[in-house]
Amino acid sequence: MEKKGVEELIAKYNEGLADPAEIHELERLIEEGIVPLTALSNLSQLDDRMMAVPDAQPSMEVDNRFYTMLREEQRKASKSTFSFQWPAWSVLAPRLAFGVVLLIAGFAGGYWMNKPQEKDDVASLTREVTDLKEMVMLSLLEKESATDRLKAVSLTSEMNQASKKVTEALIKTLNEDGNVNVRLAALDALRPYVRESNVRESIIRSIANQSSPMVQVALAELMVELQEKKSVKELRKLLEEEATPKDVKERIEESIQVLI
Amino acid sequence: MINVRDGGLDKLGLLFERYKRPLFGFFYGMNKDQELSDDLVQNTFYRVMKYRHLFRGDGEFKTWLFHIARNVRHDHFRKEKIKGKDPVEDWEHKLGHSENKSEEMQHDEEHMMLNLAMDRLSPEKREVLLLSKYQEKKYKEIGEILGCTEGAVKVKVFRALQDLKGVYEKLEKQM
Repeated sequence: MEKKGVEELIAKYNEGLADPAEIHELERLIEEGIVPLTALSNLSQLDDRMMAVPDAQPSMEVDNRFYTMLREEQRKASKSTFSFQWPAWSVLAPRLAFGVVLLIAGFAGGYWMNKPQEKDDVASLTREVTDLKEMVMLSLLEKESATDRLKAVSLTSEMNQASKKVTEALIKTLNEDGNVNVRLAALDALRPYVRESNVRESIIRSIANQSSPMVQVALAELMVELQEKKSVKELRKLLEEEATPKDVKERIEESIQVLI
Repeated sequence: MINVRDGGLDKLGLLFERYKRPLFGFFYGMNKDQELSDDLVQNTFYRVMKYRHLFRGDGEFKTWLFHIARNVRHDHFRKEKIKGKDPVEDWEHKLGHSENKSEEMQHDEEHMMLNLAMDRLSPEKREVLLLSKYQEKKYKEIGEILGCTEGAVKVKVFRALQDLKGVYEKLEKQM
């Protein structure tokens, strides 16, 4: 079919005037890639509208079940990471003999050293679980939903000792998260790590960046609790800010009095 | 995914985070059942994990994922057929959900009508439109999932859109 004929057919279809035979012909042209679906304006508009319909969301239960399953699989994978193939007997015999010797040596060694190997397994498993939690936490922190980010922050409380990556992510959240509750939760999650000098300094630097009265007061209270004199300079910056509410200024003033 | 296949299981979490929503959207679009769709998402990722060594790495992961998703869905309905689930109970369940859904969507009439129109299409047509949506109109990839040519997929989408348009216009008149 000539180009002109194709254009006429498309125009006829778009006006809703095409008969079944013409629609059949149009299908052939679509299949052969001569007519793109986007050329059929009213259909492609409908298609675009359908693309824009918001998606239903899976429940949080899906996340829980998936990560439980993944942990279980990782545990299994760490237990069995070798494959086995029967070698020829001539090769196997000396190996077996060597194996038996090693086994006896192992038993003897174990008897003498009396240190169970299990400790290492448990340690590596614990490390893996912590790594996994870290990974989940960092990916949840990127989410748009504040509930997810809160969940991420609360995950850190389950970690015995968070890594530098985690504390840095918490500090970033404290400084940059758009939601006050998430920032407060991040501050709370950082409490166990305030003894680390870099964490402590980052928290102090964060004081002057905070615009929410709730976070400002929480930070001032934490500084009093820590008896952190270095924070006075940052707290004074808040006093100088015009935007700081009067009540908050009073609380900060009290905190400064306690600190100096 | 190649990382996951070669042992980096922890990366599967990232793939899950990236694709759980479109996957759920596909299942939910097909069955309108939140709980069942949650289960099917879980089952799909279980298979991805179990058969990760079979991912060849020569195509897109998303195509492979939806291929598995379709199989998971088919297997589920085959099992349900064997079990002979009470059809009335099933319908009550579905009705309950669509009522909730329409309440949720009242603020957006057009989206509600499109959803209703989608529900009235045959499962095959609904499936091809959902795949077109979640595969971002990559007809070649959809062809790989459905086992047909790119041209055949375009014709399927064309027919499905025609039907959708017909149902949508009827609904509009009824409103």
